Amino acid sequence: MEIAIQSLVSGLLTGSLYAMMAVGLTIIFGVMRIINLAHGDMVMLGMFGAFWAHSLWNVDPFLSGLLWVPLLFLGGMLVYRFLLRPIMPGGELNTLLYTAGLSLLIANVALFLWTGDYRTVNLPYALEPFRPFGISIPVPIAIAFGLAALITAGLYGFLLRTDLGRAIRATSQSPEAAALMGIDVNRISMITFGLGTALAGAAGVLLVPSLYLYPTVGEILIVKSFVIVVLGGLGSVPGAIAGGLLLGLVESFGAVYVSVAYKDTIGFIIFLLVLLFRPQGLFGVGRA
Amino acid sequence: MNRIAAGVAIVFLLALPWLTDNQFLLHLAIIVLMWTLMGLSWNLLGGYAGQVSFGHAAFFGVGAYTTMILYLKVGLAPWYGIPLGGVVAALFSLPIGYLCFRLRGPYFALSTLAVAEITRLVALNWETLTAGPVGLLITTLPDVSFLGRPVDWESKEPFFYIIALLAVSGMLATHYMMRGRLGAYLVAIREDEDAAESVGIDTTRAKALTLAASAFFTGLAGGFYGMYFRYVDPDAVFPIAISIETVFIAVVGGLGTVVGPIVGAVFLTTVAETFRERFVVGHLIFYGLFMMLVIRFMPEGIWGRARRLYGRFRKGGSRGAA
Repeated sequence: MEIAIQSLVSGLLTGSLYAMMAVGLTIIFGVMRIINLAHGDMVMLGMFGAFWAHSLWNVDPFLSGLLWVPLLFLGGMLVYRFLLRPIMPGGELNTLLYTAGLSLLIANVALFLWTGDYRTVNLPYALEPFRPFGISIPVPIAIAFGLAALITAGLYGFLLRTDLGRAIRATSQSPEAAALMGIDVNRISMITFGLGTALAGAAGVLLVPSLYLYPTVGEILIVKSFVIVVLGGLGSVPGAIAGGLLLGLVESFGAVYVSVAYKDTIGFIIFLLVLLFRPQGLFGVGRA
Repeated sequence: MNRIAAGVAIVFLLALPWLTDNQFLLHLAIIVLMWTLMGLSWNLLGGYAGQVSFGHAAFFGVGAYTTMILYLKVGLAPWYGIPLGGVVAALFSLPIGYLCFRLRGPYFALSTLAVAEITRLVALNWETLTAGPVGLLITTLPDVSFLGRPVDWESKEPFFYIIALLAVSGMLATHYMMRGRLGAYLVAIREDEDAAESVGIDTTRAKALTLAASAFFTGLAGGFYGMYFRYVDPDAVFPIAISIETVFIAVVGGLGTVVGPIVGAVFLTTVAETFRERFVVGHLIFYGLFMMLVIRFMPEGIWGRARRLYGRFRKGGSRGAA
């Protein structure tokens, strides 16, 4: 029983970070129909940012997010404006191949600059886990969870309540209708791409204490993000949040009750089954 | 004209080991030919039929492991093992096609990516068959003589001829397959799948057949990889990078042409291997960069653009003469 509760808790903790990463991917898909294969590399950049801030400047990795997240927001907007927008008329497969190129470029520039070594960040407050009700939760992971929940909830509120958020949701539902209502679709797309990239970067900053970092870590992360986004229904924000938590749980229960070695395989198999039998996503929620 | 050009290219290819003793150059030629074969096979499905697969590493890895396992456990020499690797990869592609062809466009691409990752994880964990992350190592290749002389497996020449043979057979197969009825079906599917179906093309069968052929040639390349490097492990033959490099070679060279993947492989592999010689890591920078440039500025690929320019030049020339 205790093992089950521990798995439940650690699954939800990891899942919250997955959810945040996937929300970034899904809003980009929702608004622009871009399947951004470079999303995992944006997460990687966030991870390395936090790592370098810690090892070069001795800044707490979480605190360094205050610098990296806005930078990635800006970077994302520039990437959209100057790299992606010109090739958008080519269609979905074209953008897929293009972002695959971008992903390979970013990962290999990172490899070139920082080598392929596996790194970790050792935090002084990571040593003594936090133990509510006999379950063990490492402190940095608890902080990451809190921040992820806060950011995701904030974003959700932003999408629901503000004019800009409404404009994003409107464009996601129908770009033509949104344009007719006087929404500048190009501007909304650029902002959404920036937001999605910033979320990826924030997820990266928060993932630093729980994952090894190396330049090609984006490969696993992008694949996980796709699994989540497809589980939740492409383009759906609540779906991505639910899908992220679900994948976290599947992985943590899978590791305990099935096998550590095959925990990633379970996620992929669910992914294929959902794509084949319920392409609108598991939860049947409409696009946010 | 085209036939003469192809003949000249093949003669040049056969003579290459006599023209140079430079081992790096021969190694480069071997790698280029291996990637040419990969690009060609991917192009069958991705270029002609418009089905973008991000999972060809699965077939490459299955071919490589089949060849290695047959040699190490059954004692079957690689020259039987490589074709069998192709056959096993083709058989392996049937259930994958059955599943993934229900999806279209980007969804098809993502599903093949997932299948390739599942295959990698199985190879990593099925230790009794694959030795897991440790990998499989061959120390020696069996003694064999060719035209009365023993083949020297320590030199690169025999490997060069083997991969040249495989790559040329891939080119001929592509050429003849795509000139026939199947080629026409695939182009119809690429342009509009519903319309193709409505005029009575069994699109599922045409796609499955093409996937099997594509997997077969990719499996051959994988088997060759195992024999040439004498070592395989899941991270060497199943990574996403292999799938992606294959796609890029075909796209950068020019989709849906026989020559495109050759141009793509020569160009990208040469740049990447030269960079690797100098810097060790990050040699795929140029793959990413050229992919982006090609999609942005010449979506028909290097060969597609060259052919169009040549056509314009010829038309201009004849008009001038008239």
